[in-house]
Amino acid sequence: MIVDCHTHWGGAAKTRDGLNPAPWLKTLAAHGVTHAIVLPLDGLLDAGKIPQDNDDLSKVCGASGGKMVPFCTVNTWFGEEALPELERCLETLSFRGIKFHPWLQGQPVNSPVMDTVCERAAAHDVPILFHDGTPPFSLPSQIALLARRHPRTKIVLGHCGLFEHWREAIAAMRYAPNLWGCMCSPHPGAIKQIIKACDHDRLLWGTDYGYTFYDVYVYRLSMMRLLDMNDDLRDKVFSTNPARLLRLKVDA
Amino acid sequence: MRIIDAYCTPGTERDTVLAAADLLRSLQQAQVAAAVIAPQDREIAVDNVGGNERIRHLAETSAGRLIPACAANPWRGRDGCQIVRNALSHGAKMLVLAPALQGFCLGDEVTDPLLRLAAEHRLPVYVHTGPHSSSTPTQLILLAAEHPQTRFILGHCGSTDYSHDMPAVFRAAPANVSFELSLVRPWALPAYAQHVDESRLIFGSSAPRNDLRFELEQFDLSWPIERHPGTYGGNLEKLLAEVVA
Repeated sequence: MIVDCHTHWGGAAKTRDGLNPAPWLKTLAAHGVTHAIVLPLDGLLDAGKIPQDNDDLSKVCGASGGKMVPFCTVNTWFGEEALPELERCLETLSFRGIKFHPWLQGQPVNSPVMDTVCERAAAHDVPILFHDGTPPFSLPSQIALLARRHPRTKIVLGHCGLFEHWREAIAAMRYAPNLWGCMCSPHPGAIKQIIKACDHDRLLWGTDYGYTFYDVYVYRLSMMRLLDMNDDLRDKVFSTNPARLLRLKVDA
Repeated sequence: MRIIDAYCTPGTERDTVLAAADLLRSLQQAQVAAAVIAPQDREIAVDNVGGNERIRHLAETSAGRLIPACAANPWRGRDGCQIVRNALSHGAKMLVLAPALQGFCLGDEVTDPLLRLAAEHRLPVYVHTGPHSSSTPTQLILLAAEHPQTRFILGHCGSTDYSHDMPAVFRAAPANVSFELSLVRPWALPAYAQHVDESRLIFGSSAPRNDLRFELEQFDLSWPIERHPGTYGGNLEKLLAEVVA
């Protein structure tokens, strides 16, 4: 089992494939990737498209035989109005997590509505994955404070701080024990330090596949091979950690 | 053709631990003819003289394969200019500015003396750009317009989250700006190249933060080396050839 914990679906894939997951999954399968956390795209770019995007994502992932694990989004600027959509996604559509891209969505990480979202996520035992590594709305430290306020909620740094804020991501993960890190996009030098300094039981791997049809797996998987991870760590990062986060069966 | 890596950091500290011998070995393995080498973070920030001397020494003992860059913190004022003159007299071919490390915003007049000096000597000024708010691609375009005689290299093309600005940046960039590609996703390059003349693109690896050989192989897939000799060395070589000590 190899789980890509950071992909997107929408945009070009929706235009090309409709709600058929097969072509999208074909790329993953070619590289032995068995499962993916699938994050929205259109709903991140346009708040008016959120309900439709959540519906579509639910359908396409529902047709994937469990290989595509859907995460929904809402926009906290809509205040309490965002919460019914969140409940619809978690209760009716069976989403397995929540995604926020605070700078694309123009919403701060620390807000009363976000606090409510965290509590709902904890109640449903689903994680929240944030884009991170970018000021002013997506710093690891901002997300760490949110995580610390909500110790029952599993929160994921979607990029471990990218190129400039990876040291901050390390500090954030040490500060908040419920904060996980997806090693999607820092350079190899940073990833080595993250592995050295952070709890291995909270490290994940991802690719950001899905923004375009470009096959990023050659690059992303080859980069991970540069790191000389031992079998135990590789197993955790690619398999057992995401399985625990998402409540997947390891042999699925 | 000669492949030249525009930015490497042989160092001894933190995430830039890389012995010169190991770098030279990497160059050989990747069939890279030469690499520009720059001081490490602490040296860029507070130990300009020590860093420049260390880099100069590494370059002097490399049989021409390591090309020295230098650093001077703009806050050092006249002393900073003297540091650069000294480095130039010992072979420095590039000046590195890192606003997030050195504590200034691009566009601040504190850089003016260094930029004028760089213009006098045709010394390319490599500027690290990225997600921090003190060093964005758009800020560098404004600065380059204010200093048309100074030649700038826009490091990293704003990777990652200023990549959205890059098509507009390419189109707006005055002729004195070139674009260095370390930390750029290889598959983004063909799209970038639709907005900028290839003569302004410069390959760099940012080793050891990145793996030189790996980056070169990956770039080759999206932007073949054989078809783009300028990107992989020729463009930088022209810039460096004009430096006047």
